[in-house]
Amino acid sequence: MRKEVYDVVIVGSGASGGAVAYTLCKAGYRVAVLEKGRFIRREEFSKDELAYVRRDIITPSLFDEYHTIEERVDGKWVATPTYESGWSFWNGNIVGGSSNLMSGMFHRMHPDDFRLKSKYGAIAGANIVDWPISYEEMEPYYALAETLIGISGKVQKHPFEPPRSTPDFPQPPTRENIVSKWFDKRCKTLGITSLVTPRAILSENREDRHACYYSNFCGSYGCGSGAKGSSREALLKPALATGNLTLMSNTHVKFLHAPEKKRVAYAVAVNTLTGQEKKIYGTIFVLAAQAHESARLLLNSANRYHPDGLANSSKELGKNLVFSGGGAGQGELHRESLGEKEFASLMQRGLFVNRSVLDWYFIDHWWDGRFKGGLVEFMFEHQNIISRALKCTEEEGKLAWGDALGEKVTNYFTQAKSIRFEIFTDWLPNDNCFVSLDETHKDKYGMPVGKLRLQAHPQDVRVGRYIAQKCEKILEEMGAKNIYSAISSDPPQNLIAGGCRFGNDPKTSVLNRYCQAHDVPNLFVADASFMPTGGSVPYSWTIYANALRVADHIVQLLGKR
Amino acid sequence: MQMRRRDFLIFGSLLGAATCLEAKESSSFAKAFGSVEPTIRAVQEHMFPENGMLPSAVSMQATRFLFETMQHKSFDRDIRKFVIEGAKELALREHGKFPCLPAEEKERALRAYEETPQGGRWLSRIMILSMEALFSDPIYGSNIDEAGWKALHTEGGQPRPSTRYIAL
Repeated sequence: MRKEVYDVVIVGSGASGGAVAYTLCKAGYRVAVLEKGRFIRREEFSKDELAYVRRDIITPSLFDEYHTIEERVDGKWVATPTYESGWSFWNGNIVGGSSNLMSGMFHRMHPDDFRLKSKYGAIAGANIVDWPISYEEMEPYYALAETLIGISGKVQKHPFEPPRSTPDFPQPPTRENIVSKWFDKRCKTLGITSLVTPRAILSENREDRHACYYSNFCGSYGCGSGAKGSSREALLKPALATGNLTLMSNTHVKFLHAPEKKRVAYAVAVNTLTGQEKKIYGTIFVLAAQAHESARLLLNSANRYHPDGLANSSKELGKNLVFSGGGAGQGELHRESLGEKEFASLMQRGLFVNRSVLDWYFIDHWWDGRFKGGLVEFMFEHQNIISRALKCTEEEGKLAWGDALGEKVTNYFTQAKSIRFEIFTDWLPNDNCFVSLDETHKDKYGMPVGKLRLQAHPQDVRVGRYIAQKCEKILEEMGAKNIYSAISSDPPQNLIAGGCRFGNDPKTSVLNRYCQAHDVPNLFVADASFMPTGGSVPYSWTIYANALRVADHIVQLLGKR
Repeated sequence: MQMRRRDFLIFGSLLGAATCLEAKESSSFAKAFGSVEPTIRAVQEHMFPENGMLPSAVSMQATRFLFETMQHKSFDRDIRKFVIEGAKELALREHGKFPCLPAEEKERALRAYEETPQGGRWLSRIMILSMEALFSDPIYGSNIDEAGWKALHTEGGQPRPSTRYIAL
């Protein structure tokens, strides 16, 4: 039988894999997307808290596939498998990846995020470098992603808002709860600028995707109307419609085979249902498996030409993993303070808060100093019923049950509503945050698992605390009770980047400015691995934009059809 | 940074009872569960009694939910063992009479058990599983007629699931 050779083989179907597949398929190339998870159609997504939030249904069982996490304990690095800790580093292993499950709060990085070292200088203990490209090079792709994904919002002036080439968002903002107005008013009192959050959620119908229906359960769930701009809805479906895309779900790639120094020939993949292995051949290979897993795949692809891992002559592969720094906090707005009428408006289901604050993105204060800050998102506490009920089970250090529990839970649900804030700051890249291969642990396919050493730079927590204090003041001004914030150096496992830095020097970076491996010209890494620094916004929009940029370059390499 | 170790899921005092803890097949789990079901049922009924502000464990068939969700392949196998072990420990402490104790005695027994590190964690686990029963979609067999949601003046999101565990 003649072997099939795809023009482009993409490993992973999330935001970056979808963006590359879309561009290549539209340009007429034959593309294979290999996704380890299964395909869940729009109609199949439900708001099933038990299945989607409380069980490992759309991520692998940690007993089958896991990571080991290295943390410093009593001065020594100790690795613990995640099947022991329960701390999963898998995110949405289904077609479309975790973009199916995002809340879709979308922000562009600021031009200064591309030149952080030039702007703020070196920080001791942090490996900050400037990006090899500027915001100007990324901007057209931010604009393209905005249109393709369908980002709703409203352009507002703010000194830290990045410049844009188009006058406004393609769709108006999604609908808001009355609390947004209260928030705006209180911010104004405090001299803070509140901004409408751009969302990768359609506020109006568009082609076969329907507007948001305000289900009250958005983040962590797939969207039942197609409003959410997931890779599956916005990119893979139109790519499939071209007839050029072969989408292989339940297909896990174990390693890439490079029969010579500068070329990958095929991916060795296993069908996760049957266990059968096969080789998938391509002219170009694009990794889009999420940062820590793309690096692991390259490390697991070591051979005699690449003894330290594929495309790792720099020895930088897996290094400088970054997350989103920051933390979160919340406070409760109570019925008795607001009065019945206003409380009833507050309790209207489904509508969003949709507010962000950029005022502390860059700090330059006569007393506090000059340093990089971050973005803050304000939202309702997630409305998951079981999770919220479980917040009420403790009283004075003991479990509450019976009448005490009943009163506590019903009060929490009927007498108050919680407003939450999430802070996004730079996670400073450092020598003790990286992914390597575990020497002893292997997954169920016999491949070494990724070992993640996770240590934050002390500056990250300082910045988080600085911003949290300001956020708490807004909640106080709104009359919230029981305000608290939790800023820690724990990494959020769904916001992960780095590990395959891009740069101009092959000695200090894995990828070139087009996210093409310096060592292997037919190999690209399109997910967030390329980011030397992560900016202080959620990564999603930047991942979409950069993958579209990378895809354009691949089209140029292959020659237009 | 604090790792959440599974060490806390081991009942050291019960290492001798390991035969039932190796329950790999659902039939052996069912057998192991059957031996502790009266204890677990009695604990859930004490936590969620009749005539409270929340629906009772009895009316919501919370014990059946607990068994069925633990039996599903998506359930953490270490926690499955832990639930069985913890119930055995409680039964042992109360000389097998816990289900028959009057309410005040049950309260005393559970508060005393809560004082022990493993007992406290086990009770928290039973609480989590019971809350999952009361507030999951009714397709899972509890939260009957959405009584749990109604008690909190809330409801699940649309679309609702048409199969359990996304038909896994």
